[in-house]
Amino acid sequence: MTLSIPFERHRLDNGLRVILSPDRSVPVVATNLWYGVGSRNEPAGKTGFAHLFEHMMFQGSAHVPKNRHFELIERVGGSLNATTWFDRTNYFETVPSHELELTLWLESDRMGWMLPAIDQEKLDNQRDVVKNEKRQRYDNQPYGDWSERLQALVYPPEHPYHHTVIGSMEDIDAASLEDVASFFETFYVPNNAVLTIAGAIDPARALEQAKRWFGEIEPGAAVPPIPGDPELPSLIGETRRDHVVSDVPLPRVIMGFRAPPYSSDDFAVAEVARSLLGSGRASRLYRRLVRERRIAKGVVTYVYPLLSGAAMFLVWATGYPDGDPEALEAALSEEIAALARAEQAEIDRAIALLETDLVRSLERVAERADLLSMFELYFEDPDRVNRELDRLRAVQPEQVRAFTAERLGDDNRAVVVFEPGGTS
Amino acid sequence: MSAPDRTVAPPGGTLRPFDFPSVVRCTLPSGLDLRVAEVRRLPMVALNLFIRAGEAALGEERAGLAVLTADALEGGTKKRSGSDLAEAVERIGARISTHGGWEGTTIGLSCLAERLPEALTILSELLLDPAFPEDEVARVRDQQLATIRQRAMNPGSLATDTARARYFDPSVPYARSVDGSVASVGAATVAAMRGWVEAAFRPENGGLVVAGDVDPAEVESMVREHLGRWTGVPAVRADFTAEPASRERSVVLVHRPGAVQSELRVGHVGAPRSIPDYYPLSIANMVLGGMFTSRLNLNLREKNGFTYGVRSRFAFRSQAGPFQVSTAVGNDVTAPAVREIVRELEGIATDGPTEDEVAAARDYAAGVFGLHLQTTSQIADRVGQLVVFGLPDDHFDRYRDDVRSVTRAQAAESAARWIRPAEAQIVVVGDAEVVADPLRALELGPVEVEEG
Repeated sequence: MTLSIPFERHRLDNGLRVILSPDRSVPVVATNLWYGVGSRNEPAGKTGFAHLFEHMMFQGSAHVPKNRHFELIERVGGSLNATTWFDRTNYFETVPSHELELTLWLESDRMGWMLPAIDQEKLDNQRDVVKNEKRQRYDNQPYGDWSERLQALVYPPEHPYHHTVIGSMEDIDAASLEDVASFFETFYVPNNAVLTIAGAIDPARALEQAKRWFGEIEPGAAVPPIPGDPELPSLIGETRRDHVVSDVPLPRVIMGFRAPPYSSDDFAVAEVARSLLGSGRASRLYRRLVRERRIAKGVVTYVYPLLSGAAMFLVWATGYPDGDPEALEAALSEEIAALARAEQAEIDRAIALLETDLVRSLERVAERADLLSMFELYFEDPDRVNRELDRLRAVQPEQVRAFTAERLGDDNRAVVVFEPGGTS
Repeated sequence: MSAPDRTVAPPGGTLRPFDFPSVVRCTLPSGLDLRVAEVRRLPMVALNLFIRAGEAALGEERAGLAVLTADALEGGTKKRSGSDLAEAVERIGARISTHGGWEGTTIGLSCLAERLPEALTILSELLLDPAFPEDEVARVRDQQLATIRQRAMNPGSLATDTARARYFDPSVPYARSVDGSVASVGAATVAAMRGWVEAAFRPENGGLVVAGDVDPAEVESMVREHLGRWTGVPAVRADFTAEPASRERSVVLVHRPGAVQSELRVGHVGAPRSIPDYYPLSIANMVLGGMFTSRLNLNLREKNGFTYGVRSRFAFRSQAGPFQVSTAVGNDVTAPAVREIVRELEGIATDGPTEDEVAAARDYAAGVFGLHLQTTSQIADRVGQLVVFGLPDDHFDRYRDDVRSVTRAQAAESAARWIRPAEAQIVVVGDAEVVADPLRALELGPVEVEEG
């Protein structure tokens, strides 16, 4: 099947890119903003700041008191949130379509006039909230530090993906109001952002509204280069290990490999390879390790779509209570190596799943808007949403075999093993 | 172009009419209730089959059997192995899920609309001719035992499971985890699963919902072809009332040495889905802890910074499920957070929500309705709720009007009836050495310490 998600592309005088995607089938509209800043932009000593800043963006702006943003969106029956990741930060609202302008007012006010509303009390409050987020999602969870451990093995200390998005609590504690201001002035500028509006809109009118609310915001200077050294060899060069004995219920083996960056043509090969390996119950890992050998309770594969230097190919398996982590790791290695014999029929299955997964996600205007923002910010090419499937369909079995040989060997591997034991 | 006035929120237009997709309904000769919603947006279809065979109908010795059996359905049929079945499903890009819950067993299917005939063939095979191979049954049993172990060692699920057992009388199925116990799951056999399917997997009192880019008449003929031979009434029935374990407030502290945070659950037996004041109670709960700008979240998160987030929820089931406040907070603020939660429960139960809060929650509920009906799966799930709870066919057509008609007095009365802070069971999973004394000092009731 061929996708034809419609969209228009515009650029305001201040550099803000605006994507408009009409779909009038449900009276709902999604407003979605991607800023070109994430944890990779944090220098040493400031880890976790991009995410803390995202929290501050909800603390009000010059014309919007604290909590009003949430109140107004909820009052009209909307949903909202924001997320911070390695390469970007996104903010989004979905509302009944007659309330589009409300979202444009709120988003433009914090893009243009956030600083006058910020004070120490709000910063202290959100610092506490973020610390509790870290405790809840990482510190007080079995396996909670897995990503920190894995990233530290896959990327060298000077690389921007070496540290996690949540960052260190010491750095969060050290954040000052001056840091908030300088971060805002450096990164939260219209020329470093993409605004997508998708749903029941009239594009001409939506463009006029976008200009009205965002047009008077002054552009900023070009965003500074990413700190540290984003360049790195395509391979880790060895197998690096971290063996953790801790209070976890089941053994778990997590492997990371450096992969071609998201911008590379070869990224599609990594995506297809990961699907063959671990997407669905007919995938190799599920069939062999979960169903036939019953050595794993569950398996996960994923490729982080990262831009700077190297993406990350992830494979993980959770064992049974008395299972031997070494045997589990050996079984994973065996199946990964066997990808060197990938067949066309498996690729067909993987493509069929990726196709319906993509169409399913596009049923929601919020997902549509998010993909369009991403493709514009990363590649200046929102039409990629309509061509994703072609990229994946073009992948040949010999490319998967070559990818396996080049990228998934012992010389490009980081392994984090969790073994039950420890405190209780 | 004139500069906009930034000092006030721009006025919205008027809420656009939104019609719930029309649903064509028929009962097949076999007794199957079929409902088809034609939704022609993207070339997708979602299917939701509900069978009234759930954990609530099982005694303690068989707890977890409905969950296990649902999982084992994908283990193979009389014609195909589990791997071949998965291959057939995924080759056409379909996703099939099987799920055992309190009310029943649900089989979900999502695929491109053009693949529906093939997908239905597979679904009917899995439903009508499951083989339950010995090794596949052993696998799902081992997986579920491992899940039980994971739940016991995860502070959040440990708190939830501990709280459930404190809310309900031990004779009530809702007192236990839906996954069952190590003993009951360990004892589940192929024969038990076959017996369960034979007795409980019957079409009557359940229903099949199809939503998407399809023609209702064509769907009906396909369903007749594939599921026409499936007949009967489930020979199992949930038969209990959701009695509380206690009406005295108490505190239980599950000790996790060195924990960096406390998981909190505060609640009691809630209300069944069938109560006449379902909408007023839902509105009252939104004000308390059902939205970001709820009293609990604004207090615990935005004012005090105690937590990343807090919510309250009524689990509306055929019988009263739990009503519960859930959050995770720092060690040093555990007792203050518990005190604030109890205070907020008392506030809403005693004085009810304000006029403005009720208006905000009403507007939220009415506005958000359309947001949750964008996808074929969301629509199929909604129509499925009509089946599960026996709601009238026009329930969602009237939804916006009904929810908007809730008054402050009704919401306050509902809150007073169903939220009972004096009967709350307070569960804390955290480091007793740090949090026990401050909890005792609150004097909310006896504090019992358990080893985690």
